[in-house]
Amino acid sequence: MSISNLKKVSLAAGSVAVAAETVDAAKEQAVDELIVKLKSKDDKARAEALLSAGEVGAPAVKSLAKVMADEDVEVMRAGKRALWKIVRHAGRPGAREERNAVAKELTALLGDDQPTLVRREVLWMLSEISGRRSIKAIAALLSNKELREDARMVLQRIPGRQSIAALKDGLNAAPEDFKLNIAQSLRKRSVEVPGLACVKLVPTKKTNVEPLK
Amino acid sequence: MKRRNQLNRREFLAGAAAAVSFPYLIPSGALAARGKSGANERLTMAHIGVGGMGGYHLRDMVGRRNRGEVNIAAVCDADENRLAGAVKTAGKGVQPYRDYRYVLERKDIDAVVIATPDHWHAVQMVHAAECGKHVYVEKPACCTIEEGKAMVKAAKENKISVQVGSQGRSQPEAYSAHAYIANGMLGTVSKVTCWHYASPADNNPVPDSDPPPELDWDLWLGPMRWRPYNQRYCHGVFRWIMESGGGQIRDRGAHVMSNAIYFMNADNTGPVTVEATGTLPTKGLWDTAIDMKVVYTFKNPDWQLIWEQPGEKIPYFDQEKRKRLGIRDGYGAVYHGEKDKLVVWVGDGQVFTELKAVNYKIPAGGKHVYKSPGHKEDWFQGIKTGKKTIMNIEAAVATANLCNLGNLSLILGRKLNWDPVKQEIVGDQQAWRMMGRPQRHPYHL
Repeated sequence: MSISNLKKVSLAAGSVAVAAETVDAAKEQAVDELIVKLKSKDDKARAEALLSAGEVGAPAVKSLAKVMADEDVEVMRAGKRALWKIVRHAGRPGAREERNAVAKELTALLGDDQPTLVRREVLWMLSEISGRRSIKAIAALLSNKELREDARMVLQRIPGRQSIAALKDGLNAAPEDFKLNIAQSLRKRSVEVPGLACVKLVPTKKTNVEPLK
Repeated sequence: MKRRNQLNRREFLAGAAAAVSFPYLIPSGALAARGKSGANERLTMAHIGVGGMGGYHLRDMVGRRNRGEVNIAAVCDADENRLAGAVKTAGKGVQPYRDYRYVLERKDIDAVVIATPDHWHAVQMVHAAECGKHVYVEKPACCTIEEGKAMVKAAKENKISVQVGSQGRSQPEAYSAHAYIANGMLGTVSKVTCWHYASPADNNPVPDSDPPPELDWDLWLGPMRWRPYNQRYCHGVFRWIMESGGGQIRDRGAHVMSNAIYFMNADNTGPVTVEATGTLPTKGLWDTAIDMKVVYTFKNPDWQLIWEQPGEKIPYFDQEKRKRLGIRDGYGAVYHGEKDKLVVWVGDGQVFTELKAVNYKIPAGGKHVYKSPGHKEDWFQGIKTGKKTIMNIEAAVATANLCNLGNLSLILGRKLNWDPVKQEIVGDQQAWRMMGRPQRHPYHL
């Protein structure tokens, strides 16, 4: 390669790097602006932020999870609504890369370091857009007493063999008091579950109200 | 859509037989053959959900019992205060239950009236059908597409009569409007525009708290994913939460649009596209649309149904009558034909239309439309004769699908393509997944 061509290539590479940095900076700025507006006491600012939240996308997911754990209940709700907007926007037809990027960020929020309320909401977000890459992290929550029912419903909703396999493994490992729940999910996915009867019509809750005599 | 495994009656009974403690369910039939009550026998009723409209239905049924038309055997509610009130209303000999499944176990009960919150309608209707009970269920029929399909299947397989509480179809002036449109007095109708006032915002939000002692919160939530109790998420106001109530479009839309598809002879079809825009709340717990516009496009024949919240309100033409009868003209629909247009006000227990339709007489050789003897009377006829009810489950699911697809399009922020034959969303994987919503164990279809 001639010196002039090398110069051209390195200049082009530099331009790409600068452009990428500019894009990253713009994304960071968009996330920061979104968070500031969502935390605002001004309803109008919050409404504006929610309207544009969808397009901010994956880079905002982690920051919004923090907002979802805010002490101010309205800020918390705004964070949750903004994250849902991102999920619904990313799930649109033809946006596979965006969807995968958002699902990846959401999956990273399923760990023990996040509050239960955030993890529960994130599970349901994943139920709409995630693919096989999230299955392992979701299935791990089948052994979490607080989140296992949400996790098994979410696995039930995610299409594909991997989610069925995760439910089967979950059934094998489940304590007795949770086996029927997973069995139900498997039945919904057309898997036979011998030996575990459906109890949906078995009444369990007694009233204290007496009939008139 | 890949068929999801839904436990059918045979599977259920096989499974149940394996469970030693589970009593074998025998369908309604104490009075006569399954699916029919004896022609001269009184139906034995039970009421599941006795607050709000459920209270109205119970009082109405007490009147019928007092006239010797029916028996009332049981009342049921997850709220003990409401249940105690219902016991007083229903009187001696009526057994209270918290858990509706005790009601379904009883062999002497022929039919149930279900007036629980929306998120319970499908599960309870399907379970009642699987136990052989006839069902009157409040509108909207269902909260998801999957629930609707299960309801149609359960009614058909178990040969029960279902009436859904979009009672507008049974009103006298609904008959007039129907006859007027069906006989071509408007010409070809290409557009139906509905108006309805906007939804309230949650301006007094309160934090989550423990449920009151009289309420079985787990049972109230039922099929929905668990969440902590909140006063702004329960009796009455559940309507303003998307997952439980669906907002005005699923509440009143289930009336106004029920009439629209009935008059347009579209009970057995659906739109091909659904596109919604609107404003969602930015504070408070409630999350259903404040204002909203949904355009439904139908093909063969081509017409559009438009739900607008608030839309363009048309005041009832006779203000003196409006005040005297308490006509709630905050919602209704305009039928736009090539020759003329027709306004139909309200749409639920009240339906009013223009005088040209009220005074219209079907000419000799004209098209006759069904005249309901009353919404419950029509249901009783369905039970006794097997005839299709005026707001049968297929029609009610078609209506609920409109409401649910409108909400889905709104929260997804995009137009949806719908296959009205397969009853599936096409070309949108996320929306497709949202046609169903996994349900909590054991409160599931």
